Amino acid sequence: MRVAVEEKVLSENDKLAIGLRERFRRNKVFCVNLISSPGSGKTALLERTLEALPKSAKVAVLTGDIQTENDARRLAHAGFPVKQITTGGTCHLDASMIIKALADWDLATIDILFVENVGNLVCPTSYDLGEHAKIVVLSVTEGEDKPLKYPSIFAVSELCIINKIDLLPYVSFALDEALANVRQVHPGMAVVQTSCTKREGLDGWLQWIEQRRAQAMAE
Amino acid sequence: MHELAIAQAILDRAKAASERNGGGRVTKIGLRIGEISGVEPDALAFGIEALSKNTPFEGLALEIEQPRRKLRCAACAAEFEPEAFAYACPACQNLSSECIAGNELDVSFIELEDPPCA
Repeated sequence: MRVAVEEKVLSENDKLAIGLRERFRRNKVFCVNLISSPGSGKTALLERTLEALPKSAKVAVLTGDIQTENDARRLAHAGFPVKQITTGGTCHLDASMIIKALADWDLATIDILFVENVGNLVCPTSYDLGEHAKIVVLSVTEGEDKPLKYPSIFAVSELCIINKIDLLPYVSFALDEALANVRQVHPGMAVVQTSCTKREGLDGWLQWIEQRRAQAMAE
Repeated sequence: MHELAIAQAILDRAKAASERNGGGRVTKIGLRIGEISGVEPDALAFGIEALSKNTPFEGLALEIEQPRRKLRCAACAAEFEPEAFAYACPACQNLSSECIAGNELDVSFIELEDPPCA
């Protein structure tokens, strides 16, 4: 006997993500989800970002890894609330992990929530965390063809951050080609170029956050 | 590799659908996995096989449909299947389009063992 089902497999996660999005809206929290390969500099970018913000900023960070509290320790130096999510083997964050991690935080006291996903360009693409925008980080020590190899994450992210640009003179990364590849898989995609060690390009990134947040709050 | 978690979600859904329809043993699950869903059908099939060992699901068949990516042009509404990730509309070259197929990850149907004759 054949029975029609017609259900989306991830709808459990989608339901939780819708709940999160509603909580963010009610509490006026702007949330971004940072995704990249391991080692592209997400944590360094967040360190520089937190340092650049005034101490009075209402910012918080959830950082995901398979094991260790290392990233949370690094990020805690700036003095903002930081929580590590250790997935224990899972290669992505899902909405239920975010809900659990936020359980003892008062969202009304947070204006911007940064979620640093597990380093992975594949699986986080499929999981809505209720965020306003996904952001993909690509570093110049990777190949300029990453957008063509992993097109889905570049297609669904709103912003591409090209990081470690201070290393451009020492690596074979073709920046123009990388930009063309980004635009091929996501026409019109916003791109910011940064170096976290030389503190370059961070203004563009901070500006993007401010503008995108204003847009989200007006919705 | 998130296919194992997805495999479990699929089996949960199949079980729930079976229970809504008399609780018979599930012999086949029909899946729709779009080409840009981010899910690898072989890895998923392996996950389902591993998870169904020593359960009533053991030996179940999968029928997987893999819809191609399809876009609808925002300017002229032409529908097209883009080559790789080249997005320009073949009719008017416009670059803005909406995805209308190819990102599915659905359980489309289940097949249940016929109940024994009364």
